[in-house]
Amino acid sequence: MSSHREAPEISKDPVADSTDVYAFVSPDKPGTVTLIANYVPLQGPAGGPNFFEFGDDVLYEIHIDTQGHAEPDISYQFRFQTQLPDPDTFLYNTAPITSLTSPAWNRRQTYSVTRTDSSGRHELGNGLICPPCNIGPLSTPNYAAALAEPAVHQLSDGSTVFAGQRAEGFYVDLGSIFDLLDLRPFQNLQLYAKALGFKAAPGVNTPKFLNVHSIALQVPISRVTAKGRPVIGVWTTASRQRARVYDTDGGHFDSGPFTQVSRLANPLVNEVIIPLGKKDFWNTQQPAHDKQFAAYFAHPEVAALLPALYPGVFPHLAALDAAQTPRTDIEAILLTGIPKGIIAGFTNFTGPVQADLLRLNTSIPPAAKPSIFGLLGGDAAGFPNGRRVFDDVVSIELRALAGVTVPLVDKSFTPDAAAGLLTDGLTPADLGTPYLDSFPYLGVPYDGYDHPAA
Amino acid sequence: MPGSNGAGSPSSDLELGSPGHSRRSLLKGAATVGVAGIATAALAGAALPAAASSRSAALTHNAGPAPANESEQIVVHVRDIATGEMDVFRGTTCARVNDTQLAARLSRAAR
Repeated sequence: MSSHREAPEISKDPVADSTDVYAFVSPDKPGTVTLIANYVPLQGPAGGPNFFEFGDDVLYEIHIDTQGHAEPDISYQFRFQTQLPDPDTFLYNTAPITSLTSPAWNRRQTYSVTRTDSSGRHELGNGLICPPCNIGPLSTPNYAAALAEPAVHQLSDGSTVFAGQRAEGFYVDLGSIFDLLDLRPFQNLQLYAKALGFKAAPGVNTPKFLNVHSIALQVPISRVTAKGRPVIGVWTTASRQRARVYDTDGGHFDSGPFTQVSRLANPLVNEVIIPLGKKDFWNTQQPAHDKQFAAYFAHPEVAALLPALYPGVFPHLAALDAAQTPRTDIEAILLTGIPKGIIAGFTNFTGPVQADLLRLNTSIPPAAKPSIFGLLGGDAAGFPNGRRVFDDVVSIELRALAGVTVPLVDKSFTPDAAAGLLTDGLTPADLGTPYLDSFPYLGVPYDGYDHPAA
Repeated sequence: MPGSNGAGSPSSDLELGSPGHSRRSLLKGAATVGVAGIATAALAGAALPAAASSRSAALTHNAGPAPANESEQIVVHVRDIATGEMDVFRGTTCARVNDTQLAARLSRAAR
């Protein structure tokens, strides 16, 4: 998935596993940017009695590079604390949870938000409460209005924050993609699917009806940009203390400095660009050191797989691969941003430092008629200019890797006809619940009573 | 509860030179060379010359105020007994220490 369980080690540590990062100029408050970092992937809504939560022992951060050096000029840190008022019941709640102060709610989390920037560390909020997980109509009635909306908090600097469960907004056909890059709408052309007589078919949204945990911030643009530099680079990290000792009473003791165990900026980078043997290492590295991985961007494995798995469909891409032509288009899109002059009126270039950052040009206003294909769809307010919750990043990246963006750097190259059509066959219409029109934009989480349906 | 810490280790557990030292206190932690220990008293004063320890800024991650205090537990990871290279974890810090004598004593204590 975008970055769900994308590396061997982090796949065993869900609470520290970053799954998606979003950064966009807020469509309903265009003087602000919204930053969202998702964690705790693939939550079955009925997964009780220990429902999903953030890790008290994890340091969650959202970083912003304002200077183009791939270093964090601003970091927001989030630390969680769990309370268990009654340890003598197995129940998450002993009666309906009707409000965030309900005494019936027996396992709750609060959190602090701290901003670090050139002026120092500033605690922006503390004791902020997360909503409960959405259990069902008996336990969490009137979830959106009574429990989720009151969990949107104002911070001391005027920013807005939410941390808690949300409906998974990333749509992807995992079942087909991880089955030898089969894309159901084109599987009549796929090497192995064709041999089995598979016909073209619609995509299947694998994470439909699953939840995730989101950390969402809405911040005035002036608070996250440097004067005269509207392009920011955004990424999230999760860190754990280096030493852990398990006690024999079920507890544990952590000590030492925090060390990074997960990071995420552009979708699908560690998932499909970085090879299996380097994925865990990638998660420990700082974006400023990403030059060491540049070869994987210049010669992406997916670009070689497409002609092999779809024989005869991508002849121009195959020729490009055979010539060992470095994919400077992919390097630009994912590692430096697109320089001025490549696309009329657009840039999200941050400088020559190669780093996986989600780059957002905050001077580009929200689109009146957005395209889920973002920049490829003529919508400069969408991915890879930041990322909105509804952007079809799977199709955008598939098309780019298939060669659609090569003409940005080589006008003599003609993309294969199929490249511009690639998709896993999904759109936001395949979600089980809609996005929200306002902060935190990701939909109300699915409840465990109704999902899966009987 | 996740994240809960046990009680602090009393320094009386840590008479490393004494045959009566506590093995319990020495068995916490993990070590690639098979040696780990909680060592508060032993890491203070003369047991570790100041020049032998270093606190690398690169090893610390700014995670907010978590000042070390004298009652805080310490985890020692002996990385290499032969060279005496150890990481000493306390609070949110890690100090890289080189002390062959202490490493050898910890090794003996962990048998």
